[in-house]
Amino acid sequence: MNKLVILSVVVVAVVIAGAAAYYSNSETALPVVERMHGDVSTAMDSPVLGDPMAPVTIVEFGDYQCHQCYNWFHETKPLITREFIDSGKANLIFVDLAFLGRDSLSAAQATYCAEDQGMYWEYHDILYTSQESQIDNGWANSERLKAFAFTMGLDMDLFDSCLDSKKYEKRVQLNIAQAQKAGATGTPAFVIVGPGDKQEMISGAQPYSVFKLVIDSMV
Amino acid sequence: MLQTPRLVFSNTKYLLLGFTIFFGMLFALLLVSEYIFLAPYVVGHVPMGTEFGLLLIVVLCGLSSLVIPMNVFRIITLRGSKRKMGGGVFGSAVGAIAGACSCGPLGFAIISTFGSIGATASTFLTNYEIPIRIAAIVILLFAYYATVRTLKIECNIGKLD
Repeated sequence: MNKLVILSVVVVAVVIAGAAAYYSNSETALPVVERMHGDVSTAMDSPVLGDPMAPVTIVEFGDYQCHQCYNWFHETKPLITREFIDSGKANLIFVDLAFLGRDSLSAAQATYCAEDQGMYWEYHDILYTSQESQIDNGWANSERLKAFAFTMGLDMDLFDSCLDSKKYEKRVQLNIAQAQKAGATGTPAFVIVGPGDKQEMISGAQPYSVFKLVIDSMV
Repeated sequence: MLQTPRLVFSNTKYLLLGFTIFFGMLFALLLVSEYIFLAPYVVGHVPMGTEFGLLLIVVLCGLSSLVIPMNVFRIITLRGSKRKMGGGVFGSAVGAIAGACSCGPLGFAIISTFGSIGATASTFLTNYEIPIRIAAIVILLFAYYATVRTLKIECNIGKLD
């Protein structure tokens, strides 16, 4: 009888410890705070770039291997940053729509590993600066992703274990699902959310003039 | 080399067909390759470093609008074999497909529908977009040369030269 009680206690303890370990891991990998911008749930996405209280939010759906995203990053984003984000009129959130290749997924996961060390946007920028013209040619493979982290001075033990364990795999998958739910059918795509949840979809790497017209019409 | 197209395009029907192919194909390719956007505003945009891609699209459309009407003329007027039209259509199709698979909606739809096979095909067509377009142009140039030669023989244009 005593053996049975001891065995039951051990089994219950193992189950509780397992459940606690599982949920504690899930909590570190998936933020639980609900965050909505218009119809788009952005709880699992990037940190906010710019003033979180800005009247306009630009939600970008992108892939780190997409050359149109590269074009937008280098041509349009600097103007938007200067005119709208730095001035507090708008902020930006990045949602992964990583669909172009296998390295797109690991690149997206790597950005959240950098976020763990407070360097999400710096890592995001280094990926779009280092993008090469060919998809899955190795420029964003695991070794290169770690090399980017190393050049940024991140804690490599933390970063490596995060990337190798695929800690943020589920988060990236949830982002992809969220992007599709929001109506993104390619990258880059944007949802501009203004006051009163007014929103406008912009598909493709459109020029600054289009973003200016849309944002100005909202504020 | 110029007398044959002059003969074909002296007929308004073929001239109209040529214009339709040129502008129709150009519009579709510019839209798919994201040089023009229709929403929320109609706008054209050539990002830096993509000028050569744009030039290839224009050349591809120009050659297609020359080769296809000339082959249609040969088939209808001269009752020529439809098989010989293959080069023109093939070249145009290959050139068009090259730009279609990218991060845009078409590439996304292909990858979503066909999974890893679609992703592999899309990756190939995206990575080799420029060489594929150049190959398509070479095919079209060859088709143009072959068509002109055939028409010259079939219409006895050589005798007029």
